[in-house]
Amino acid sequence: MDQEAAQLEKRHVHDVYESTAPYFNDLQSKAWPRVRQFLQEQKPGSLIADIGCGTGKYLKVNSQVYTLGCDYCGPLVEIARSRGCEVMVCDNLHLPFRDQGLDAIISIGVIHHFSTKQRRIRAIKEMARVLVPGGQLMIYVWAMEQKNRHFEKQDVLVPWNRALCSRLFSDSSQPGRKKPCAHPERSHPYPPPCSVCSCSVCFKEQCHSKRSHSMDYEPLMAGTCCAAISKDGEEENGFYNTLGKSFRSWFFSRSLDESTLRKQTERVRPLKNTEGWANSTICIQPSRHSSLDLDHHEPFSTTEQYLDEDVFVEMSQKQLEWPRAPAAMKHQHGDQQGEVRRNGDGNFLEGTNANSNPEETISVEEQQPNILDSRAFMRYYHVFREGELYGLLKEHVAELHVLSSGNDHGNWCIIAEKKDNWG
Amino acid sequence: MKLLTHNLLSSHVRGVGPRGFPLRLQATEVRINPVEFNPDFVARMIPKVEWAALLEAADTLHLVEVPKGPIEGYEHDEKFLRQMHHVLLEVRTGPSLASLATAG
Repeated sequence: MDQEAAQLEKRHVHDVYESTAPYFNDLQSKAWPRVRQFLQEQKPGSLIADIGCGTGKYLKVNSQVYTLGCDYCGPLVEIARSRGCEVMVCDNLHLPFRDQGLDAIISIGVIHHFSTKQRRIRAIKEMARVLVPGGQLMIYVWAMEQKNRHFEKQDVLVPWNRALCSRLFSDSSQPGRKKPCAHPERSHPYPPPCSVCSCSVCFKEQCHSKRSHSMDYEPLMAGTCCAAISKDGEEENGFYNTLGKSFRSWFFSRSLDESTLRKQTERVRPLKNTEGWANSTICIQPSRHSSLDLDHHEPFSTTEQYLDEDVFVEMSQKQLEWPRAPAAMKHQHGDQQGEVRRNGDGNFLEGTNANSNPEETISVEEQQPNILDSRAFMRYYHVFREGELYGLLKEHVAELHVLSSGNDHGNWCIIAEKKDNWG
Repeated sequence: MKLLTHNLLSSHVRGVGPRGFPLRLQATEVRINPVEFNPDFVARMIPKVEWAALLEAADTLHLVEVPKGPIEGYEHDEKFLRQMHHVLLEVRTGPSLASLATAG
């Protein structure tokens, strides 16, 4: 299973970040206040690592400590390096550090990219290994339970639309903007993370105030476009509620932990008639089996094709089109509402939405015909249930003692300490 | 990378370490980047230094004036601290060490 997990992560984490890295060079990245606080509270002279540092937004928060950044993604590391950060490429599962060399570690929005429980545990244990006794580890992962929407399943594929990102980005440089989303702290303290807005769903035309929302990499920190907008007046609010409903559906992949039980005969072809679907395309078939992580060793096909067929549906050109007008959206949403369940058991896909009228759509691909192989830009996340991260540490990482845990803007977060008597 | 970073990595002593890969530094790839001297900061780093690795690196890179170990009262010894500051934070090895991922 580990090989399949690595394949999934390569395709839906590493390759995506590599491909999309260039778009994040200039964009605002938010530093979560509690993470900043954790870093600032470290003793002067501490050696700290940010494992999964991306472009390095946390690496210069505290000038009294020595902070190293690591990330698996070369292009992101280069961006961080160009900003003068001490960074390197490395693998969370095989950190290049000696044992007990670091005083503190942060892991912000990283562990949720590992596609099996065992890999998540390994990643945490690896970080524990390199911590000095008494050293602290802060972990943030995306929560399954969100404020205004909820994930139906824990294993999710999140789309990222490059074309839209560049459009929105260029928009943001126009004058006369009101409350740019890129600065949520100014306009709305602690906005909830917009799990919908990983750039792929905020339409240019709908951002009336032409906000650019934060193009930050992780949805955790992503734009507050939807959140900000909700304060702005009813009409927009109404639209975004509708929009939010439409796009609340995520693309859920089956957990690899569950996949080992999948039998060939149970494979069901997802919707063939995809004309009515604007973008929901990648869909899922939630497994009927409970997660059996380690209990079953039944081999299952390791080919990419298998994964694709089971988890994804082919996207047609139309599926990449975006609805243009709010009215159209509202109308179409109504049409689509019932049309989600297939496959008798009702445990089918969550992808939905709204566009059945091609004339009302604008093709995102007008200028960039080959950019939207959406599967290439679908990022995998395992979103955590309440208590799951805590449980993981408690049961599987005995070398760490949990100091505190809580929720921060749609993320479960934990601070743990390496036990003193640990070797 | 800075030598302080290099010092935190595993397997930097001669031979193959537990993690499996030796990190060979190249003398030809040394650069010096000035960094503002902060004696308190440097003093706090001293207890964390793995000296064998540091000395080996310094040797490979043909660095001079590298202390052989912490000296008595180093916290207040400006000369010592400046030397350490230079070695740990100003000497940079070449970009070839950027990628340290040991593929699983």
